[in-house]
Amino acid sequence: MLKKITPRLWILIIALVISIYAINLNPWASGIEITNVEPGSLEEQYGINNKEIIKSVNDISINTVLDYYNAVSKYSNTAKEIELITDKGVYNYNATDDIGFIQDNLTIISAREPILNTKERIISINKIEINDIKYFNKAIENLFPKKPITITTSKSIYSYSTNTIPKISVSKSKITNLKKGLDLEGGTRALIKPVSDKDIMDLDVENLIDVIEKRLNVYGLSDIKIRPANIGNEKLVLIEISGADSEEVKEKISQQGKFEAKIGDEIVFIGGNKDIPFVCKDDGTCATITSCDVFEGTNQCIFQFAITLSEEAAKRHSEVTKTLNVIQEDSGSRLDKTLDLYLDDRLVNSLQIGSELKGLETTQIAISGPGFGTTRDAAIDDASKNMNELQSVLITGSLPFKIEILKLDSISPIVGNNFVQNALLVGIVALIGVALVVYIRYRRIKILIPIMITTISELIIILGAASLIKWNLDLVAIAGIIASIGTGVDHQIIITDEIISGESQNLNWKERIKRAFFIIMGAYATTVVTMIPLWNAGAGLVRGFAVTTIIGTSIGVFITRPAFASIAEKLFNK
Amino acid sequence: MRLYKYFDKSIYKKVINGHFVSKIMGIKEFYFKNLKRLIILPILLVLLSLFIITSHYYKTGDLFNKDVSLQGGISASLNTDKEFPDLEKQLELQTNKDVTIRKLTEFGSDNQIGILIESSDVKNDELRSALEKITNIKLTKENYSVQETGPSLGRLFYRQMLISLIISFILMSLVIIFIYRSIIPSIAVISAAFSDMAVTIAIIDLMGLKISTAGIAALLLLMGYSVDTDVLLSTRMIKRKEDPVEERITKSIKTGLTMTATTIAALFAGYFISNSFVIKEMFIILMIGLVVDIIMTYIVNTNLLLGYVKKNA
Repeated sequence: MLKKITPRLWILIIALVISIYAINLNPWASGIEITNVEPGSLEEQYGINNKEIIKSVNDISINTVLDYYNAVSKYSNTAKEIELITDKGVYNYNATDDIGFIQDNLTIISAREPILNTKERIISINKIEINDIKYFNKAIENLFPKKPITITTSKSIYSYSTNTIPKISVSKSKITNLKKGLDLEGGTRALIKPVSDKDIMDLDVENLIDVIEKRLNVYGLSDIKIRPANIGNEKLVLIEISGADSEEVKEKISQQGKFEAKIGDEIVFIGGNKDIPFVCKDDGTCATITSCDVFEGTNQCIFQFAITLSEEAAKRHSEVTKTLNVIQEDSGSRLDKTLDLYLDDRLVNSLQIGSELKGLETTQIAISGPGFGTTRDAAIDDASKNMNELQSVLITGSLPFKIEILKLDSISPIVGNNFVQNALLVGIVALIGVALVVYIRYRRIKILIPIMITTISELIIILGAASLIKWNLDLVAIAGIIASIGTGVDHQIIITDEIISGESQNLNWKERIKRAFFIIMGAYATTVVTMIPLWNAGAGLVRGFAVTTIIGTSIGVFITRPAFASIAEKLFNK
Repeated sequence: MRLYKYFDKSIYKKVINGHFVSKIMGIKEFYFKNLKRLIILPILLVLLSLFIITSHYYKTGDLFNKDVSLQGGISASLNTDKEFPDLEKQLELQTNKDVTIRKLTEFGSDNQIGILIESSDVKNDELRSALEKITNIKLTKENYSVQETGPSLGRLFYRQMLISLIISFILMSLVIIFIYRSIIPSIAVISAAFSDMAVTIAIIDLMGLKISTAGIAALLLLMGYSVDTDVLLSTRMIKRKEDPVEERITKSIKTGLTMTATTIAALFAGYFISNSFVIKEMFIILMIGLVVDIIMTYIVNTNLLLGYVKKNA
């Protein structure tokens, strides 16, 4: 029997097997998959990885995301009241996860909690005297006790102690390996255009993409696809982010901009690696919220972070400040002009320049600014937000152009879910319809069955190919798949008819198949060729259609059709 | 008696109703007897279509009606089963702009699963607040999708898609010329394809269908599909010298109609069952095109080739 399987059939079988493996159909996929492990967390240290499936937490079986959150809820903390006495003062504040400062030798070296100050020595915490480091650790342990947790995953069992809920993200396990496009998964799609008086080069667009990617990553948005999309002469950028909120994305992108620091009219430095090689962004040491105050009913908090200027920028800075005059004030002396920060040609901040900076060529600069709110927490949040934005603009560089948003789509995931079920139904009914027509025409099961088997195999292989190349299946891509299947059936009918008519003319097999394939190749070439312009059309939004149609018909012509010819030979050649 | 040879008896195991046979024979007789004269039909159709398209162009400035993705505007969908029968009027009152509403229903039950709102004038925020006020539903990213296209972008898309249509047509023609390497068969296929597109677009205009980028992609696919049947017919007519010409044509029609029938069956299923407007739009365009293609292939293409084949026999 095995001898009867021709090479062409082998190719089909191998392709089928690879595809089924690639699709990784797992309708019984249960449990919750870990989608993200926070860098620096306990979980990362203990070796928990992405893609592991959580089976149970502390012996509680986990089947849904809700199960997981219920199981870890006991690790979340309520705020604790802290009374910290140092050699300089008494401080009262609330803390949830940790004490809010970093100490070295019982001296505060960095404070996240804004009311605290550095360089102060710890005397007592909540009335417990802290004489040495042992007492300190014990106090921390009492305030934020670590509880044991055991997470059992598909890979291994992790047991450790933690005082917060695990810093990992989870979601329902996937049923197949097929990547769903934005239309099915939900998310945000934006088409943006860089706007400038000068011509935009391809290199500019590349830089823009680089910067936006870093920027969106900085804000914790993952699963981002950004690519150039050209329409005619317009150079645009297409951004697609699964699961993101479109307002969030719009804000992040819109702020993307041109950063300049000027004193008077002179530009001292601009955003970007050349002028600013380093921007501090970690918590606690060189980027913090330093103090909070109340001014006429509004809470104000000050943030501060350090940046390093390049030598060129430092030189420019000293040259410009050299010419300025010093003004004496109660709070200190400063120069008579301010360092104005412009974002998108809009003044966002004016920094007073301490007089000690006059003429000084220094590469270390501290930038500070305010945040406001009705409560202190709101002010802290606002200050953090402002600090983050300023940092990002400086870190990721500025662009010599502004961004115009031409298209913004926000797609909800629910439609996607309905669509998949619906698509399955369409597929089944379509196959039945095709089978009916084929049967009415030929009235032979011997013809119907190979055609249906071949068609279904083709569908599986196309989906397998899509999984392998990780192509995002969106609406138009699925339309392309349906189109390919339709073409596939057509070609099989051509082969069948050539074989049958060849019968009455006593042509040998090779001849009959050859004639059929001539027609098929002609049809294939015209289909592929009509799809080519779609690669770039519509900013690549219909590219999915072109790709799946071309891949689908190619798979058909080179894999399934030849196999079908072999099968037909077996069945018809009595 | 000669006509019986056209049926390959081994295919039909059951005894075919004699009446059925004579009906088919009747159609076939009519077809071959009047083939040359039948060409009036497609010629009229094409002329009429060109007229319809041109007048549409003068009236609206476009070849066909554009939807919001090509014209600029908002397409929003709200997932809810609550019905709001006067939503369109109420939204228009609230926003003072033109709004169109369509219902998304579940296949087989007619239950509403969503509402599709389209407008070329309303802004996203306006629509959101008006919608929330009228329906009393809080719009979140879970239940509400919005696709907003600026009008300049829409125009760019439109121009680009039209250029794609032209490029595709040229490329397709080149492939045909390459396959047949002689003028007349190539012209036969290319004219059939062109006529198919022209009549399909005219029908779309008459139906008032609004076309999106996906719709134009469907037109491109249609070009490829319609050419399949032409390639089949032309190849058989030119290359199969062992049968008389009429027989070659008949066999091609049989194969070709089967091909078209299977495709239409699948598209039909998709059109009625799918609850995606994009899919519906693409499939209806394809179905219209395929039906028109039957006329174009088996009257235009056949006629143009008949003379050529008889000459080279």
